[in-house]
Amino acid sequence: MSVETVEVTKALKQPHGRSRVIAGIIVGLGLFVALVFGLGSSGRAKSQFTFSPVNLSSNAPWHLGALTVNTRGWNVVLGVLIIALGTEVWVRRPRAPMLRFGLSSIIFLFALLFWACRTPGPSQIPFVNLTATLAGSVGIAMVLMYGSLSGVLCERAGVVNIAIEGQFLGGAFFGSMVVSVTNSFLYAALAGALFGALLGWLLAFLAIRYMSDQVIVGVVIVTMMASLSSYLNLQVLTPYPNFNLGNTASTTGIPLLDKIPVLGPVLFNETWFFYLAVALVALVSFGLFKTRWGLRVRAVGEHPKAAESVGINVARTRYRNVIMGGAVAGLGGVAFMATQGQFQPGYTSGLGYVALAALIFGRWKPSGAVVASILFGLSAFLANGLQSYSVPVSSEIIGMFPYIITIAVVAGLIGRVRPPAADGVPFKRS
Amino acid sequence: MKKTRVLVTRVFFVTTITGMRVELRGVTKRFGSFTANNQISLTVEPGQIHCLLGENGAGKSTLMNILFGMLHAEEGEIVIDGQAVRFADSGEAVRRGIGMVHQHFMLVPVFTVAENVVLGFEPTKSLGRVNHRAANDMIHELSSRFGLDVDPDALVENLSVGLQQRVEILKALSHDAELLILDEPTAVLTPQEIESLMAIMRSLASAGKSILFITHKLKEVQAVGDVITVIRHGEVVGSVPATTSEADLATLMVGRDVSFSVTKEVVEAGPAVLSLRDVVIRDDRGISVVNGVSLDVNGGQIMAIAGVQGNGQTELVEAIAGLRHVESGTITLGGRDITNKTPRQILDAGLGHVPEDRQRDGLVLSMSIEDNLVLNTAHFRPFAKGWSRNLPAVSSNAADLVERFDVRTTSITADVGSLSGGNQQKVIVARELSRPLTCFMAAQPTRGLDVGSIEYVHRQIVEQRNQGLGVLIVSSELDEVLSLGDRVAVMFSGQVVGVVDPQVGRETIGLMMAGAKPE
Repeated sequence: MSVETVEVTKALKQPHGRSRVIAGIIVGLGLFVALVFGLGSSGRAKSQFTFSPVNLSSNAPWHLGALTVNTRGWNVVLGVLIIALGTEVWVRRPRAPMLRFGLSSIIFLFALLFWACRTPGPSQIPFVNLTATLAGSVGIAMVLMYGSLSGVLCERAGVVNIAIEGQFLGGAFFGSMVVSVTNSFLYAALAGALFGALLGWLLAFLAIRYMSDQVIVGVVIVTMMASLSSYLNLQVLTPYPNFNLGNTASTTGIPLLDKIPVLGPVLFNETWFFYLAVALVALVSFGLFKTRWGLRVRAVGEHPKAAESVGINVARTRYRNVIMGGAVAGLGGVAFMATQGQFQPGYTSGLGYVALAALIFGRWKPSGAVVASILFGLSAFLANGLQSYSVPVSSEIIGMFPYIITIAVVAGLIGRVRPPAADGVPFKRS
Repeated sequence: MKKTRVLVTRVFFVTTITGMRVELRGVTKRFGSFTANNQISLTVEPGQIHCLLGENGAGKSTLMNILFGMLHAEEGEIVIDGQAVRFADSGEAVRRGIGMVHQHFMLVPVFTVAENVVLGFEPTKSLGRVNHRAANDMIHELSSRFGLDVDPDALVENLSVGLQQRVEILKALSHDAELLILDEPTAVLTPQEIESLMAIMRSLASAGKSILFITHKLKEVQAVGDVITVIRHGEVVGSVPATTSEADLATLMVGRDVSFSVTKEVVEAGPAVLSLRDVVIRDDRGISVVNGVSLDVNGGQIMAIAGVQGNGQTELVEAIAGLRHVESGTITLGGRDITNKTPRQILDAGLGHVPEDRQRDGLVLSMSIEDNLVLNTAHFRPFAKGWSRNLPAVSSNAADLVERFDVRTTSITADVGSLSGGNQQKVIVARELSRPLTCFMAAQPTRGLDVGSIEYVHRQIVEQRNQGLGVLIVSSELDEVLSLGDRVAVMFSGQVVGVVDPQVGRETIGLMMAGAKPE
């Protein structure tokens, strides 16, 4: 008998109880879609998809006509699709049930849109523009990618960065001022990144030097930036509107690729902030998992004592990563401003926290953060879009949708995903 | 015969490889008014296995941390090959050829073996990428040179503790360590793993490496040591050859004669007081770690659960105490179903519980001794009257228990955190035994205690059993299991491999701890 053989009992499937709760919720969503949005609409009602974005239709080399479908039949199909996802979770107990829940939520929101735009119906807008919806979602997803990438950089080294929202706000504020004065988004990006890095340094300093509770420090930084940016907005931007012109960055099409129907305008005709986000994701992913730097960073986030015992400077590694993370989040703030225009108080409306949720959903991986950002970006944009249709639900309630979905998704992950072992734990040299 | 072969190879290597001679001269280390190390001197010759023997708290770890550059001595010096050295940090010690295998492994669980070994000294290719092939080659080379077989691509968290320890040794060797410090390396191993560790130690020594082996286990130093230095209360009390008898070593170590055996009268076992049937429990990650355990603890009997740590014992104890959800199966206490009842319901039903981590789960360290003594009875008469506390009753209870259980303290209102480990454990035992019980359950009851306290706790446990209580002990110390248990249940991989009489011996139980079914 060999003592060396180790038996590791690994649960290949999720526990029954939780999967069934999630499956039940998904099936419930599906039934709601099929019964209310499907069978609840009149059999003669039609919904219309359009594909040509208004601002692109003139120079787009392709033209896709509108697609008209029967609202009832189409939504029943969508409902059945969601029920199928729920059944799969019930039967197969997959490792990523929350991804299915997220997809179901997105389909749910689409079904709601189709239902809202049906003709004859109450809505002023009788169609859903698929390309515009996706393009808008990508805009939000981009900001979330910056935010969750910032989280990846910090938390992989063992520091929780809850201050992303504050770094967004700071980056957006200074970005807006700099671009208004210099008319250059390059300078704006540099200013935003610099300010984000400064806030990152503040977080790192308090968390590493004084071993303060990182969550509390993070919240303090967000609160401080929310108040400071509102104050400066009132004192500087309002009296001198020349500092807040609301320039938006122009898009650069990638030759040929931007001619692809639907995908072209969605992915290949974006501002360079978007391309930069994609490049950063690839860069950080490569750095973390392939290079010596990444190995050391992850060691510091998992077992700082072990890292120290082989001569890695834990404090320096953490400082470096949190400052880089702050810079990336600051950049995200500028990117947000570059798509949204004029700075306003409460500008980023909690996107920094959604980015944290995306970080958890993406299991602290840059690639996972992209999937999560797209999911949350879609839900946020769809819910926003709903406000222009005459849906018989108050717009404040609709505005809660993306956050409810976020909470549900993250709550379903608790205890299932494993953060870096030393995440949020101050390191004390022995 | 085996021994001769080892000796021959050693002679051969000593002539070809020059090792390192490390000397500690008059090392003194104080923490405030407490002197942890007082004028300690010892010399480790090349190719020597030098054992450092002493009780918990004798100052062994402090001394090793000084040698490894993690602490700095007030007086004395470290001399390597005749040259005095000073280490600012452990990195410098590593560069001077000192490697340490810590009691708590310095390994990143989610990394592979290769990543752990090269961490901090990574071979790279272009763009700063880690060169995994070079790392694997280096590990294969070291493995075959020293007979330390391990798969470089395995994730460390999937390895047994014994293999993880190998990874630690490989890591030290990869930094060209000439002196290896092994800090209590056998505490977490099965008897068979201990055997294989000792074989590794011998082969390292025959390759010219020096080893400083820290332990408090007498059998081990006799089995593997060349020279034994015994320290007590921070001072060297003797340097003796490995042939010294166990009794003499114990007397040196403790400072008085020690009885090793627990005397137990024969007691007729009563009916089952605690019964587990097909219990299944999951850990925090949802992985099932107890897979269908059935077990009976009878009145007047000590049931000892043996097993290497991490085979489900911790979760089993938590589930019995109501601290962890039971997925399926039933637990009955004195005929009542206590499955998934709240901890208070279970304690009130007559379970006494001494938890594994006494500082985390057994005591509120910042609260007084008297309050800790009524933690689970404070809501009853006489300690509570309606919604108010009866403080005089709490104090008199504490005065009585401190006396009866010999808790060494200046005051019953002192913070329990200010007590020594042994006295903290006595507070918990006193609290649990002062209530009417049906079954007494203790996890790792003597971990980290000195020999005197161990004797005391053992006597208390045996006394409870003599009075007809059912007793459930979980321990990873095989000696404790063998001397205390009337029956021994061995757990491996979440299952009870078998329930045997302790008379079957260490060898059989050791094999069961590694998963082998009893005959």
